[in-house]
Amino acid sequence: MTDTTNDRTLPAYQLPHHPLRDLLTGSVASIAFTFIAVVAIGLLWVGPKFLSFGNVSIMGTFLIVPLIVGAFAGFALLAGVVDLSIGSIVGISAAVFAYLISHGWGVPGAAIVTLVMCLGIGGLNALAIVRFGADPIAATLGMLTALRGITWVLAGNQRMISAFDIDWFNLINMQVLGLPLFFLIAIGLTLLAALIVTKTRIGRHVQAVGGDDKAAGRAGIPVGRVRTAALMLSAFGGGLGGLVYVGQLGSAAGATGFGLEFQVYAALMIGGYSILRGGVGNPIGGALGLLVVAGVANILDLKAISPYYVNIIIGLLLLAAVLLDRLRGGDSYE
Amino acid sequence: MFETRNTRALAIVALAVPALLGLTSLATAQDKFKLGMLVGGNTCCEWMKAQGDVARALAEKEGWDYVELSNNNDPAVALKNAQIMVQEGAKAVIQFNGQPSSNPAISAVMKAAGIPIVTYDIADPGMYFVGIDNLAAGIAGGEQLGMIIKDKWNCAPDLVISSEGAGAGIVNEWRTGGMRTGVKNICPDIPAEKFVSFEGSGDAAVALQPARDLLAANPNAVKMAVVGINDGGVLGLINAAEQLGRADQVIGWGQDGAFITGDNVNPHLAGSVFYFLEGYAVYAIRDVIKPIAEGKDVPLKADAGDPASKVQPCPVSAEQAKAVPDMAERVTQLLAAPAGTTAYDLFCPNKG
Repeated sequence: MTDTTNDRTLPAYQLPHHPLRDLLTGSVASIAFTFIAVVAIGLLWVGPKFLSFGNVSIMGTFLIVPLIVGAFAGFALLAGVVDLSIGSIVGISAAVFAYLISHGWGVPGAAIVTLVMCLGIGGLNALAIVRFGADPIAATLGMLTALRGITWVLAGNQRMISAFDIDWFNLINMQVLGLPLFFLIAIGLTLLAALIVTKTRIGRHVQAVGGDDKAAGRAGIPVGRVRTAALMLSAFGGGLGGLVYVGQLGSAAGATGFGLEFQVYAALMIGGYSILRGGVGNPIGGALGLLVVAGVANILDLKAISPYYVNIIIGLLLLAAVLLDRLRGGDSYE
Repeated sequence: MFETRNTRALAIVALAVPALLGLTSLATAQDKFKLGMLVGGNTCCEWMKAQGDVARALAEKEGWDYVELSNNNDPAVALKNAQIMVQEGAKAVIQFNGQPSSNPAISAVMKAAGIPIVTYDIADPGMYFVGIDNLAAGIAGGEQLGMIIKDKWNCAPDLVISSEGAGAGIVNEWRTGGMRTGVKNICPDIPAEKFVSFEGSGDAAVALQPARDLLAANPNAVKMAVVGINDGGVLGLINAAEQLGRADQVIGWGQDGAFITGDNVNPHLAGSVFYFLEGYAVYAIRDVIKPIAEGKDVPLKADAGDPASKVQPCPVSAEQAKAVPDMAERVTQLLAAPAGTTAYDLFCPNKG
């Protein structure tokens, strides 16, 4: 019943705790400093407009879905099971939700059915990975492909399902204090996820399972159940993302959510998560990663710099995050 | 405690100093016409970038400000970009949105801000339509291919294969359906079961594998005609046939003219329908944007059947296409031509 992670020998260069050192080496330190740097560059280069309510509102609206999806997908990453199907879960959620609405269903009923379906998809992922021991990348890649195909079929010849519900549209696009309500909700969900991860027994169990599942099992943590719950949460987040997309766009398309998994995981990795080893990362870091990427893209947009440079900069940020992680000692600071 | 206070002070300075500096660098708002351009941003196609390059050059010629954003082929990004255009004070916007599910929302954003928006090729009720008549272009290309089928195989092909790009929605239906209709106009007795389709996503690389599968499933087909949503999709099947040693069994006719010029045109691509996509900004600026900039009232024409500006399709055989310069050269010549001259005027070898 010993936690073997405590048996690690500290590297010779590792120094005792110190508040300022902790600030510089904490799990979200790198991304927090990067975020401050991006805000500073934005203010210097773009001017006060960068932090104006209007501009933050535009970025916030765009970030609602990635933030929600990231907050929930982070649980799967922490539990050591990467879920590559999140983008296609967003797609099928949007398609099913839009399909039901376009066939006369009310928003609450359609939303419940859609979310239950997404939980089922997460359950299927868990069945393959936890019960049958499938490799998470292979299993969720298969799910990604299958769901994308179903979404295309649902979207029909027009490859689009119109589902404009004025009440849902107004709710999703509602502004509170000059910012999108659902952006604030997404931030709230992120903080709640961070609280669960860092302050609760459940969160510690998730991290333990991701860090070393054998040790966690020996410590009496139900590894299978934790991973099943994490995968179902991840799928639930994708489901919520799909509902929001339909509210924002008034429709769902065959391509909805296409590539979202890369956008979200790139940001989560910039924010301190790892897709290859569990137990590492913090939802606040992930959210800051998304904000950094969106901030950089926004600066380039507002400075009318060719959009073709955005991906280069995001790629370099990702490389810098990985290098910084190694320079800080990788897992050793966890 | 001291260090914590210092850290906070540093953070405040880090945020406040740039803010103050930023105040001094506030751009002086000039009452200058600003054109916004939302390019498609799909890495598949060189013409998407060229559309932005031409719009930028034409805007600069007019003395307008110009801002360009990429939709990254993503409906959510397209909506965000539309909101940025409003914030940036664009007086008019042009877009190519390959993911039109966001068009209604973009339309609503633009309408609320009172900004006219032109859409290329994919119509939306709230946007000025500038583009090709996709169905007419499809039929024109199909009829050209039909004549080849008639001459070569006496209207008795083993298969008429359609390389679909379902992601483009109704545009795909118009183009590929139009081409099938065009083939049938010339060869009306081809049985329905000879018409088969596969999903190639309008991309030669993506189309390769499903095209190989289709060819493998039809080993006895030796007279195959290929139509598609664009040249890339058609080329996907031709390339697959080459890999399987069956290239001589296929003959294709594309749409959009993207792969029918230059030194390396595939000999099995018999022709294509040029839209000269890179030059759409000439139509948009000449017929919509410039009159708006001059304060004229331009009635909203959003229907592809009654567009704000109609792009003429130009069906050409591979032989005729040899006289057409490649895209980079076309852009250069287009920008050097008198204002309002279209690429069709300059380059179409057989103007209708």
